[in-house]
Amino acid sequence: MNLMADILINVIIAFLAGSLLLGLHRKVMARVQKRPGPPIVQQLIHSLKFFFKETAFPKTVSKVFYIGIVFILALIWVVGVIVGPVAHDSLLILFGVYAVYKIVEHNSGSSSGSPYGKLSCVRAVLSAATELPLFAAIVFVYLVTGTMNIGEIIAYQSVHGPLVFSIPLAALMFFMLIITKSPYSPFAITKDKVLISGFETEHFGFLRGFMLFSEAIAWYVLLWVFLTIFFGPLNAVGYLIGMIVISVITGFINATTPLLSPNHSVMTQITIGAICFAGTVLMIFTGVVA
Amino acid sequence: MLDYMIYLLTFAVGSILGLLYSYKQHGEPFVAVTKFNIPFAIVSILGWVLGFCSGNMILSAIGFLLAGFVMGERPGYGRKETAVGLIIAIIVYLLLNWHVM
Repeated sequence: MNLMADILINVIIAFLAGSLLLGLHRKVMARVQKRPGPPIVQQLIHSLKFFFKETAFPKTVSKVFYIGIVFILALIWVVGVIVGPVAHDSLLILFGVYAVYKIVEHNSGSSSGSPYGKLSCVRAVLSAATELPLFAAIVFVYLVTGTMNIGEIIAYQSVHGPLVFSIPLAALMFFMLIITKSPYSPFAITKDKVLISGFETEHFGFLRGFMLFSEAIAWYVLLWVFLTIFFGPLNAVGYLIGMIVISVITGFINATTPLLSPNHSVMTQITIGAICFAGTVLMIFTGVVA
Repeated sequence: MLDYMIYLLTFAVGSILGLLYSYKQHGEPFVAVTKFNIPFAIVSILGWVLGFCSGNMILSAIGFLLAGFVMGERPGYGRKETAVGLIIAIIVYLLLNWHVM
């Protein structure tokens, strides 16, 4: 198939699947909290609705940056789709995508000129702590498989079995990143309700539509990468079941866990990351991991 | 991948149509409906079975549209029907693919 068509189809799939999974996530959270919750398709309808809403520009914004940042946000996650599901390329590029995403979060808050956005922008720097476990997880995948290429990692797992059985603690580190990225997460300090909607507070209309579009794609890409590098070669049904199960688990965790304060959030992430890192190193050096 | 995109699109369109239809039928505040709607259950079973087991892109797309229509109903409606449809579709899928597994 034509590469451009392949990219377009995968981006549409990522947006639709990501939106529906986030809708499911909201539904699970609601049911755990004994609320009826919105329909699963509501997240998708919200995202589309914002594209047709009036867009207002606050006087305090740095306009070029304020508008440009949402396009960059959408673009980096489209790059995530290209590197992951389309090209099966390097994990390092995906790590780069996530690192840039943190910078975009930071700049999105600062460009708004709002105190809520600015505080969220400061917290985005703190929340970069999630990148350490992510990077460590990628390093362990490299140490075990000898490659960063997703296609080759899939091939490795088809011979040796899923990596989740050989380096479970690295998978746990990656899963923690997924929890962090999920809505209403205990680690979502940039979107604390004290900060209204955090770095998104001052983005309205189609700009917010782009942000929701990016969030849906980001959720899909993260789940896809997690399932691909830790659960071996999967078919479409495997991905579907895996993504639904992870969305339900994260929804359950987020519904029952309060938001941590920024210092507790960072320390918890670093502590879990350090324990998993030490555990995996121990497993490798004691020969538990072949 | 084109087929998966079509399935997702038809499922989303079906859900939106189901939501609009059920709000038109039931305008009252939220009620947890306990009665089982047989016509919707048949639509749901037909939808999920076609979606998972037909093996044909167009039939699967129609199936997901129907399944989405019932599943997408406003909160409180279509839950049991969706559950029944999904369970029957999974059983049919397993029976049809038993020899492969």
